[in-house]
Amino acid sequence: MERLIFDAAAVIAILFAALMVLNRNPVKSVLALVVSFFFLAITYVLLSAPFIAAIQVIVYAGAILVLFLFVLMLLNVQREETPEKEPRPIQRFLGGAAILVFTIGLVEVLSGKGAAPGPPVAALVSGGRIGALARLLFTEYLLPFEALSVLLLAALVGAFVLVERERRA
Amino acid sequence: MIGSIPLSDVLLASAALFVIGLAGALLRRNAIAIFLSIELMMNAANLALIGYGAALGTREGQVAVFFVIAIAAAEASVGLAIFVALFRHTETIDVNKVNLLKW
Repeated sequence: MERLIFDAAAVIAILFAALMVLNRNPVKSVLALVVSFFFLAITYVLLSAPFIAAIQVIVYAGAILVLFLFVLMLLNVQREETPEKEPRPIQRFLGGAAILVFTIGLVEVLSGKGAAPGPPVAALVSGGRIGALARLLFTEYLLPFEALSVLLLAALVGAFVLVERERRA
Repeated sequence: MIGSIPLSDVLLASAALFVIGLAGALLRRNAIAIFLSIELMMNAANLALIGYGAALGTREGQVAVFFVIAIAAAEASVGLAIFVALFRHTETIDVNKVNLLKW
């Protein structure tokens, strides 16, 4: 049953991700990705990671993608125009070839003899309780956690500096 | 709560999402669409991390995903600020038309 729900959610997430890439209109791309991330959050719940599912919805779908939408509307970017003449045909062909090779390699590795199908994903002993995750974050991973806050501050300041119009004093 | 999801399903879903993101990053021209594709690739990696974490019965995978999401937020803010600055300079965010750094 869980497998059925997981597979359904994953397939819908993949379909909307494909829609995101195929859509020429960037606003529709962002909206498709929001749906994709919601269904990814469902798969996280099924993999006993409810906290990650929550921040996936709140931070990713809620904050980051809304920021994308905000910038898109601020810049008023119309749909991506397709030039009559492809400016870089060779690079585009090479990109397609690279994707194809990568896909074949990935399928080969994942379905090959070398990679056993793996044990079924087991539920964590105490479910996916947040407390255990928080304990891990604030003990073993305290230094990266604190470094992260400095990184976010640096990103905040950096974003401010980048978009600031040059002031003539 | 769970126990019947094979790891291979998780990894295949992750691989499919990653490949779609890679295709988008390589083939789209709109800089924001490329950025979205990169976000999708990070989510594919997150799915694999959580899947492995659940399969191995540890929470380290979730901790890694937590850091990835926080770093993605930082990256998105700086990246979008760069695009805004770029748009002010060149009136476009089409990556084919931006070649200021080209030798």
